[in-house]
Amino acid sequence: MAGKVGARIKRKEDPRLLTGNGYFSDDIQLPGMLHAAILRSPHAHALIKSINIEKALEAPGVVAIYTGKDLEGKIGRIPSSWLIPGSNLKEAPQYPLAIDRVRYVGDGVVLVIAEDRYGVRDVLDLIEVDYEFLPVSVRQKEAMQENAPLVHDDIENNIAFHWKAGEVPDEEIEEAEVVVRESFNVQRVAPSPIETRAAIGQYNPGNGELTLWCTSQNPHIHRMVLSEVLDISEAKLRVIAPDIGGGFGGKIGVYPDEALIGYAARDLKQPVKWIEERNEHFSAANHGRDEIIDVELAGTRDGKLTAIRVKNTANMGAYLSTFGPGVPTIDFGLMITGAYDIPKAACETFGVYTNTTSTDAYRGAGKPESTYQIERMIDLFAREIGMDPVELRRKNFAKKEDFPFTNAQGLVYDSGDYEKPLNKALEILDYKKLREEQEALRNEGKLVGIGFSTYVELCGFGPSAVAGAIGFQGGVWENATIRVHPSGKVTVFSGTSPHGQGHNTTFSQVVSDKLGIPLEDIEFVFSDTKAVSMGWGTYGSRSVAVGGGAISIAADRIIEKAKKIAAHELETSVEDIEFEDGVFKISGVPGMERKFVDIAKSANYAWNLPEGVEPALEAQAFFDPENFVYPFGTHIVVAEVDKDTGQIELKRYIAVDDVGRVINPLTSEGQVHGGIAQGVGQAMWEGIVYSDQGQLLSGSFMDYTMPKARFFPTIETAFTETLSPVNQLGAKGIGETGTTASIAAVMNAVVDALQPYGVTDVEMPLTPEKIWNIIQTGGENDDTI
Amino acid sequence: MQIEHVYTFKGIPRNIVWETIQDKEVLQKALPGCKVFEEVEENKYHSVLGINIGPIKGEFTADVQQLDMEEPEAYRLLVKAKGKPGEIDADAAMQFEETAEGTVLTCIAEVQITGLLASIGQRVIGGVAKVVIGQFFKDVDKETKKAA
Repeated sequence: MAGKVGARIKRKEDPRLLTGNGYFSDDIQLPGMLHAAILRSPHAHALIKSINIEKALEAPGVVAIYTGKDLEGKIGRIPSSWLIPGSNLKEAPQYPLAIDRVRYVGDGVVLVIAEDRYGVRDVLDLIEVDYEFLPVSVRQKEAMQENAPLVHDDIENNIAFHWKAGEVPDEEIEEAEVVVRESFNVQRVAPSPIETRAAIGQYNPGNGELTLWCTSQNPHIHRMVLSEVLDISEAKLRVIAPDIGGGFGGKIGVYPDEALIGYAARDLKQPVKWIEERNEHFSAANHGRDEIIDVELAGTRDGKLTAIRVKNTANMGAYLSTFGPGVPTIDFGLMITGAYDIPKAACETFGVYTNTTSTDAYRGAGKPESTYQIERMIDLFAREIGMDPVELRRKNFAKKEDFPFTNAQGLVYDSGDYEKPLNKALEILDYKKLREEQEALRNEGKLVGIGFSTYVELCGFGPSAVAGAIGFQGGVWENATIRVHPSGKVTVFSGTSPHGQGHNTTFSQVVSDKLGIPLEDIEFVFSDTKAVSMGWGTYGSRSVAVGGGAISIAADRIIEKAKKIAAHELETSVEDIEFEDGVFKISGVPGMERKFVDIAKSANYAWNLPEGVEPALEAQAFFDPENFVYPFGTHIVVAEVDKDTGQIELKRYIAVDDVGRVINPLTSEGQVHGGIAQGVGQAMWEGIVYSDQGQLLSGSFMDYTMPKARFFPTIETAFTETLSPVNQLGAKGIGETGTTASIAAVMNAVVDALQPYGVTDVEMPLTPEKIWNIIQTGGENDDTI
Repeated sequence: MQIEHVYTFKGIPRNIVWETIQDKEVLQKALPGCKVFEEVEENKYHSVLGINIGPIKGEFTADVQQLDMEEPEAYRLLVKAKGKPGEIDADAAMQFEETAEGTVLTCIAEVQITGLLASIGQRVIGGVAKVVIGQFFKDVDKETKKAA
């Protein structure tokens, strides 16, 4: 059985999902189930003067209608779970429905419950809401100015928080030989999972237990927060995340809508189902990014980087989302030096309230933004001093021998060897030859560019004491229980919560190697707060590093106990027992052995156990890692810009990632591909657009361009393995690396391609219209396009 | 969003254009898909219009108000329309200028839209508005010829 870790094993999940046997929220049918719909604000900022529900109440099948006023005092406010210390953070109360004022297009106003799924939607049209328009604040920098309309009356200048880390005195910048400055707009994007959000509530009036199925990446966080919001014992609230069609951070958030469904189910004592529509999702589900990043990078003329100073002005939307405040501060600001040994660094972040949908973590959460700025700045600096961008990178990398490496912001990178993936990627690319070709093509009038991103990211959340110190309202350890049944089959309970990643497959490989049993003997229970005692869910590329770490420890405990039983049965001491490939043997004595299944049976029957050993074979482990993990790598993009149309073609995409131990190369490549698609999507196509009045203009897939498979060349992937000392598996995170790396790689390639026009920066997304205009105007980047 | 439209009523004197465009019956005929058009008070109307913009179709109830009347040169037109696809809030300046060719009517409107109209219809609404307004003026033009 050994050797499963590292093998290309097909996903155990797929046969079920591909044959239509998944069990998603919308598959849930309960007797007497009612349907919910939410009337949302069409205005970015307005007072609710009156709500007329008379006609709606008379519509066929209507069971209940709730307004914000009806629920006042009955459902608590929806809190943020990341309250950054020392940032003068002002959390504006968010109620499940707007009470007297709406603050963004999509803000919930009225909840309708009816018997029929279609009927309930029609009822929304019968509700008349009289609004009085208020002036709006939409863009973060404008919103901070004096006299800007206030989103929340008592929050001055709309500043939600002001956070600083590190210090770089002015003279470090002013007296430096070389300083490059640039401002980047990391535009707002919509995570856009294939399945929108959903919630189904069922209340048992007999025992007072409320079950809530919802599209959550972290059911235990949902339970913790919602038990308070709904004023119900955590022991009586059961949150289950069924199969989920993607999250990408958008399903971390504890949303008002989920609280509403739980409340209505309890109030009406009937099951209630809510499935979000796609248009609704665009305006009411959290967005990602929307950060304006101003950077100054200083160094010497021979290419030694000495200081970096960054200011991030982040648009938080109308309310602080569950993880929102942590993204542009901790996740972003502590990683601004990237993979480089830059001795001085400082980051200042403003979080700003605006009349827009709230922003929260989106794949990478702060790290893609951070990587984008430093990797773009490196290219700008290289160009300024006339050095090859690869050489400048090498010159400033944190050196292999300096690991564990402490960056200028005080983070300790667990392990690293940044030259390794860079060299491998350059080899795949054939860099020298390509630079020559580029020159030749330029002479023919063809615009080809090469872009690098030698990233590192912080993930594998993480040490709980650190989480506490940075204001995270919870722990980030992980929990695993391994239950060995009398037959030797195994059920593993994990506090991580998969929504497309393939946990079942990779964790099976770990358990199979540990216990020496076949993959098909291992089943998993995730995402049910009643079945899994505790856990913190899946985000921040933590599942393998922390969840897998916990499973490994639990497996060791199983083996430890089983060895005692085997020794007892074989009449020898525990020290003489060797365990290999699912067999307990006495070293040097052939034939004297017990199989894992034998011990499973004898442990559960308990007819003959050694003294002091309890019956059954089950072990639980709670793993709180000592540090985060820091995967790294090199991504290279070769892009060609069509002079006449502004169209960009990705000619090659090379990704060499070092994520520590690769448990399954097949699923890892899948993660890399998906991550790249979302990063390239940000660079080239995606973008949430608001009008100056706060109207959402990109509210459908007709207006919001998603990456499609045909937009990409074959992605050339490879891995190097620099193990992490933080967990037993030596594994780092892989879910976000693709997104973190790819934005800068694409942007660097396109700016490089446009170099003949003197272009130094282009704002995302790279629409053909924008590029064409740049070419027409001979290099002027009109940021307003 | 600003919508600007210029229409020349060829050979029609300004006072005729002014009178025609104020005529309740003419307005009812010329407004797109107009099902109801009632005068609520002087220069204030309540109407129901059927609008069809690309993928968005629906019935709109509209309150129309004319104010700042400077006969026969200019007036201000406020339209607040509400329907399933969203709301339209238009504030239009209507200018009438007599030229050798006829009467030139310039309409400059600041238009706010919400709901699906905004999130899906925004990109096409400018073009559609042009067609709708153009058709409206053409229909008014026909009526002025009758009057003239």
